[in-house]
Amino acid sequence: MITLRGLTKRFGDRVAVSDLTLDIAPGKVTGFLGPNGAGKSTTMRMILGLDRPTAGQALIGGRPYGTLPRPLLEVGALLDAKAAHPGRTARAHLLAMARSNGIPARRVDQVLDTVGLTAVARKRAGSFSLGMGQRLGIAGALLGDPRVLLFDEPVNGLDPDGVLWVRRLMRSLAAEGRTVFVSSHLMSEMQQTADRLVVIGKGRLLVDAPVAEVIAASSRNAVRVRTPDPGRLRALLAGEPGPPQVTPAPGTHGTADAASGAGAVGGALVVTGVPIERIGTLCHHAGVPLYELSPQEASLEEAYMELTGASVEYATGGPATAGSATAESASASTAGV
Amino acid sequence: MTTITEVRDGRSTGGGGGGEGGGFAGAAAAEWTKLWSLRSTWWGLASAAGLMTLMSFILATSTASNNTNEITTDDQGVVSVSGIAVGAIDLVQFVPVTLAILVITAEYATGGIRAALQWVPVRGRMLGAKAAVVAAVTAPAGMVLAVLGTAVAGPGLGRWGRFSFGDAAADVLNVGVYLALICVFSLGIGAVLRSTAGALTAAFLLLMMIPMLLSNSPIPALRHVSDSLPSSAGRHFMAAEPGPYPALVGLLILVAWAAAVMVAAIAVLKRRDA
Repeated sequence: MITLRGLTKRFGDRVAVSDLTLDIAPGKVTGFLGPNGAGKSTTMRMILGLDRPTAGQALIGGRPYGTLPRPLLEVGALLDAKAAHPGRTARAHLLAMARSNGIPARRVDQVLDTVGLTAVARKRAGSFSLGMGQRLGIAGALLGDPRVLLFDEPVNGLDPDGVLWVRRLMRSLAAEGRTVFVSSHLMSEMQQTADRLVVIGKGRLLVDAPVAEVIAASSRNAVRVRTPDPGRLRALLAGEPGPPQVTPAPGTHGTADAASGAGAVGGALVVTGVPIERIGTLCHHAGVPLYELSPQEASLEEAYMELTGASVEYATGGPATAGSATAESASASTAGV
Repeated sequence: MTTITEVRDGRSTGGGGGGEGGGFAGAAAAEWTKLWSLRSTWWGLASAAGLMTLMSFILATSTASNNTNEITTDDQGVVSVSGIAVGAIDLVQFVPVTLAILVITAEYATGGIRAALQWVPVRGRMLGAKAAVVAAVTAPAGMVLAVLGTAVAGPGLGRWGRFSFGDAAADVLNVGVYLALICVFSLGIGAVLRSTAGALTAAFLLLMMIPMLLSNSPIPALRHVSDSLPSSAGRHFMAAEPGPYPALVGLLILVAWAAAVMVAAIAVLKRRDA
């Protein structure tokens, strides 16, 4: 259990983390999201006693990190992949780490095996790729068999195999009843890994809720409707309160849909702002035939973009990428900043 | 993760070298492992030995040649063989001093300081463990260097050398104590300044340049300042002939410097974000 109470950090005039109060519960993977500069790493450093909070507290099992007699047995952390001295071998790095907390040396070989670095255990960390560095960092986090684990961008630099492995590792650590707190920029990854989300923007807590709830709250949840008579459907929906947004379904542009026969889609519309049941009932009473009526759940990425749009610290001048709804929503939001 | 009991066992059995598991003993064991798992440590100590051999040989042969050339004002007569090694440490010390500085500044350079503080979050314990390991390595290293310097100086001096086992033993011991204290002092400077280049420059100025400039000053007050600097205090502590204060006072001044810098470094570490 990680407990943050009014946690605040100021660097001069800049507020990095502002009055953060939340509990990160055991037995779950809690995703920690936010734009660059939102204060994620600062928060993690304060939890680990590396940065001193300007105000408030970060507690692990009710105690500040600095007062834990053998901290590696309580908390394992991966902060950055380059934590090991480049001139030291992977094994020597972990061995020194083990000795610092009185962890038996045989545990070093176990975690090296767990992360798949046994073959390069006697190679110097400086020769490691980013992915191997991440694995070494994860080995270090697991070394003390801790009940609380913090991972800052754990899948950075990992190959698809490694990403899958990290996802399974997180899930199994949480299933064992441990507290797993993981930051990431990869929304699709978080959607698959996390149970709960903590989203911060400009140092403030934006959301602390289960993943499903975050997605359900997104206004990007839509209904896809296919009818031979889109004109009447539009007229029907125009009478609804809101009024709801009706747009042609994506597929009118983009090569992927053209290749898969976009012509067959003809007349598909995406409707937001009306419950799916209401659309069905309306069409039934008006006698508008429906070929398709399907919920289009927003992705976590879309929900996240909506949440953080106003609190992007390093906004770009315009859309960096074009085409997807996500990029459009991001640029629309940042334009207002 | 089937190993909960195994790791927790370390707590009850003390985990081998870890004492009660962690604590100062654990921190020192970790620092020891870290130091010896870097090639730079071995290279540094080897080059200190090489430099000592060279310096002692040069000092010994130039003393001998000064005594035999036509100029009589530079004659030193018969000198102590181990005294040559003591003189050579003035310059040779900068190799172990660099190693001591790197113990902390390399961690700031690589980000390893955050790992070090995760393992051992108590600032004083982390830095104290580094100081203990630095002293435990540089004291015997200093003694070995002094023995080496003495062994080279003997043949270099020839008939101008005076060797007594008692003097040599005292010199060897003194060099070990001096080097350990000066390296702990330098470690503290490294912890305060964080940068290798900055700490090396500061150490060079404090240990070499400033005392050299001040000791030649016509103003007595400045000469007193020079005498109270760590390297001058160390020189008076190791010197055979009487200085401005007894040898023991020199040792105490040196200890005070090392302790003061360490206390300052711990205070800075406690306040500073890692």
